Amino acid sequence: MKLSFIRASSSSTLPIFLKWHKTPLSTNCRRPIFSSRISSTPTSSKPQIPLFLRPPTYSASFSELRKWQDWAQSLANSVGSTFVDSDNGPEASLLCRELKWLIEDAVEDHSLFPPMGTQNNDRPIRLRTSLEELYLLWKQRIEERKPFQYIVGCEHWRDLVLCVQEGVLIPRPETEMVVDLVAGAVSENEGLREGLWADLGTGSGAIAIGIGRILGSCGRVIATDLSPVAVMAASFNVQRYGLQGKIEVRQGSWFEPLKDVEGKLAGLVSNPPYIPSNHISGLQAEVGRHEPRLALDGGVNGMDYLLHLCNKVSSMLKPGGYFAFETNGEKQCKDLVEYLENDYEGSFCNVNIVSDFAGIQRFVTGFYRRAI
Amino acid sequence: MALLKSFLILPRRCGLLLSSSSYWYYHYHSRSTFLVPPKIRITARPLSQQIQSVQRSKPLSTSLSSVSKYSTCSSDGNDFLRLSDQQLMDQCEMSTFKSSGPGGQHRNKRESAVRLKHLPTGTIAQAAEDRSQHKNRASALARLRTLLALKVRKNVDIDAYSPPQELLQILPAKSTIRGSDCGSQIGPNNPKFALGMQALLDLIFAVEGSISDAAKLLGLSTGALSRLILSDDSLRMAVNELRTSKGMKPLK
Repeated sequence: MKLSFIRASSSSTLPIFLKWHKTPLSTNCRRPIFSSRISSTPTSSKPQIPLFLRPPTYSASFSELRKWQDWAQSLANSVGSTFVDSDNGPEASLLCRELKWLIEDAVEDHSLFPPMGTQNNDRPIRLRTSLEELYLLWKQRIEERKPFQYIVGCEHWRDLVLCVQEGVLIPRPETEMVVDLVAGAVSENEGLREGLWADLGTGSGAIAIGIGRILGSCGRVIATDLSPVAVMAASFNVQRYGLQGKIEVRQGSWFEPLKDVEGKLAGLVSNPPYIPSNHISGLQAEVGRHEPRLALDGGVNGMDYLLHLCNKVSSMLKPGGYFAFETNGEKQCKDLVEYLENDYEGSFCNVNIVSDFAGIQRFVTGFYRRAI
Repeated sequence: MALLKSFLILPRRCGLLLSSSSYWYYHYHSRSTFLVPPKIRITARPLSQQIQSVQRSKPLSTSLSSVSKYSTCSSDGNDFLRLSDQQLMDQCEMSTFKSSGPGGQHRNKRESAVRLKHLPTGTIAQAAEDRSQHKNRASALARLRTLLALKVRKNVDIDAYSPPQELLQILPAKSTIRGSDCGSQIGPNNPKFALGMQALLDLIFAVEGSISDAAKLLGLSTGALSRLILSDDSLRMAVNELRTSKGMKPLK
């Protein structure tokens, strides 16, 4: 349905994306030896098209693909628990599950691979990328610890499939709940449902799109991000879900692009960087080495941006407006609530701490004054 | 939620309570006590091999106040399968599998598995096959409905038996008691199948596993009812579990 829109538009952006993959690979070399750094950071100003949206213009025989799969599987299995032991990274079983998903995204017709029975073994299988590229991608996954989501160019989040690329924070399962929190707040409040919302530091646009789909027909969202790559990815995702009329993506730092809507917001949500700076170096390699530090590092105690949001939220929301922020956990939640109650005494009501699905206190929510 | 949590009561106690209503539960794990209506005595074996996700809720100490809360609710709250997704979800405790470490931005492990625990019955359903937690939650909820249909039994009065509409809808068209207003037959892939399956199991348990007795009450030949039972794996296994426990041959 909505995919057809993007399939049509993807052809124009495709060549730009594929450009950087044209590494000089010998075609008969199945397991090319790479230098320590395999991937280069793309400098393209156009969004990368995720694997699953690319046209199936490549093909491989069943046995070729099977050979690749066996190789990839054994590479994954060779990891064992070394990633878990070194930085709590993925274990082999998880990598094998990712391999299955990679095949899902790369193979046009999954019923052909892996095949039922042994028929059609000589029939070529249509692929959305070349076999050489598949070898390269899986090497990047295992040897560089490149996040799986950057490998396939998307993340499944709620009922959405959001395109992501290096430079854009991969939306986390925990954050799915922000949309549920907003849904709860707007369900019995028309003013909020039909009002103007803002998602600060939107990244892939995940929260903004999630909210955009539950607001009423008059409800609007402004999504901001400082990073041009994030703004590009968010705009792309907004378009893919046909929400251009509802969600506006603006580039800029926090409240800077929102000067014209001061005091007019019905709601403000954010998943700002909240990891304390000295934790960054110890992060899981997928996160620490590949995801944008801009979206992770929250300063000395991780509270820099959360406090900045709290300091400005009262001037941005209209009376009765709602806010929800994601935090690093219990300590930040408690500190934030204490801060709001002491420094902004009487400004907010129903300030709450909400736990995520794993039972970790994760979100701080509340209303600016009482609804009038 | 606090009220619902008080439902986690000892099975024995649970049985005493429930015997006053028309519902009874049994639990599939080996440690559990099976609770049956006074008329029917069965010694069903654990179904845990086939329904891996089911396990008994851990017993919590209970108080008189929670007992009274339960009985208040049980009068109107036991038709779990008639609840909307949201209502059913509200009765569940949801957790993800691995929650070690700080989570959130720290982590990228794509552990999107979801585990739902239905607090009133202790039924647990889980899903991990999808890439998004949201979708896994939907799958787990659908699975929970099937498990509840298999697990929660209602007493049936055989002498005045009249099959409910949901059951009529899953019967094949040749059933003599199935009116034309039932529409076409609902198959196992339809979400509404669980409700019909529940009613069918209620009947089969009431006639102590006799397919021919049940078939008569449904206006079907024994063969036609057998085929219906065999069309769904979980239904077939539940019926065969009962039949085996009564020394009858399993359906094939």
